[in-house]
Amino acid sequence: MAEQGRVAPRLRLCRGCRQFVVPDRPDCRFCGGDLDLLEEDYEARQAAVREAADDLRRAMERHKGMAGRRRS
Amino acid sequence: MDDLPVRYAGVEDSVNRVPVSIVWEITLACDLACQHCGSRAGRRRRDELSTAECLDLIAQMADLGTRDVGLIGGEAYLRKDWLEIVSAVRAAGMECGLQSGGRNLTDERLAKAAEAGLQGVGISIDGLAEVHDEVRGVPGSYELALEALRNTTRNGMVATVNTQINTRSMPQLRELMDIIIDAGATNWQLAITVAMGNAADRPELLLQPWQMLELMPLLAELSLEGRERGLFLQPANNIGYFGPYESTIRNAIEDEIHWHGCNAGDTIFGIEADGTIKSCPGLPRVYAGGNVRDKSLREIWETAEPLAMTRRRTVDDLWGWCRTCYYAETCMAGCTWTSHALFGRPGNNPMCHYRALEMDKAGLRERLVKVKDANGLPFDHGEFEIVVEPVPGRADDERRRDRILVGG
Repeated sequence: MAEQGRVAPRLRLCRGCRQFVVPDRPDCRFCGGDLDLLEEDYEARQAAVREAADDLRRAMERHKGMAGRRRS
Repeated sequence: MDDLPVRYAGVEDSVNRVPVSIVWEITLACDLACQHCGSRAGRRRRDELSTAECLDLIAQMADLGTRDVGLIGGEAYLRKDWLEIVSAVRAAGMECGLQSGGRNLTDERLAKAAEAGLQGVGISIDGLAEVHDEVRGVPGSYELALEALRNTTRNGMVATVNTQINTRSMPQLRELMDIIIDAGATNWQLAITVAMGNAADRPELLLQPWQMLELMPLLAELSLEGRERGLFLQPANNIGYFGPYESTIRNAIEDEIHWHGCNAGDTIFGIEADGTIKSCPGLPRVYAGGNVRDKSLREIWETAEPLAMTRRRTVDDLWGWCRTCYYAETCMAGCTWTSHALFGRPGNNPMCHYRALEMDKAGLRERLVKVKDANGLPFDHGEFEIVVEPVPGRADDERRRDRILVGG
């Protein structure tokens, strides 16, 4: 097919105010936050959440295993 | 992204112009009398496609790479061969859903539909009983719609509710959400009532642009709450755009998803019951690319100029407020259908949250005033003007008393 479809320019989500911004400058147009720093902070918090969820899942599996052994 | 429904188009689909999702009006016959019906449905079209023509069209859709076919009307189940159409769509390897008012979607009818391969049903519910019955034009239609929703889940199909957001339904959305969750809905598609067809005759039903300031936080709140309760809110393409809730309301899997412009004619298109192909099912016939009785679907899809309108749109095609908007390059003035229904052309869309926020910051708001009636035909529209006025009650009201006309 000769003519391709339109692909819109992607925007960046500011992790400070959750508004989308055109990625043409380092700070958020709306809240003034440093977009890279806010992203780093967000990633760190996400990693902590994932770690906590994994811990919880492992603890629940251990508990389930112990409960299963007690029943048998 | 493997978890996304097949009707979601990815970047590759956009680039390659795969018509991922087709909305197909298989008849204009309808058993409701909705005040906002864009197609002014009721009687079937004189020259609707025959069964054989429908089956041939299904093969052509599959050949183009279509993954999802949504059957609409009118009321699709009023066509005697609708289950044959469902079966053929499924046999061709595509998903098939039905959008319906649900007035006569009995358990028996839906059991047969499930057997034919129908996978999902979207039932239109436009508010609580009194409002729904009035807007849909048939007393008792609310209860029948809810029963159709329950019948859908009972028969193992995905149950979606479609709700028109207008001045009557907006105050009831919260209560309605509780009811549809109880009735088994897992998806809730919300669209703002567009000033087309019957809705053009009832401007009092239409939201005003400044009401986006109330609507968007409400939708964001309902989105978050709904997700926790197993209901996935899906904003239609005429809901947006940007502002602080964009990510929340449009979040399918990851929160960086945002509105990226109208994709009519690139990854979706609409079919009218007589075989007319349009880039968007809601648009009037000036956007028709041809008829499958005259040309193959592939030829229409690949060459018809009217189907190219969104991919060729540039910021220079925008006008009014949208022309100089911060988001212009990405947004391209939002929903083509909404703009066209208001002004007879795309490129300026006042039904926008970001725009309403910016107006509000300046102590202003936009109000739509109808200046010309629609002519009474399917998919017709009137004409509206935008009046910019001071936000009532603001201290500097007096200084901005003069009205400024900026659109229409």
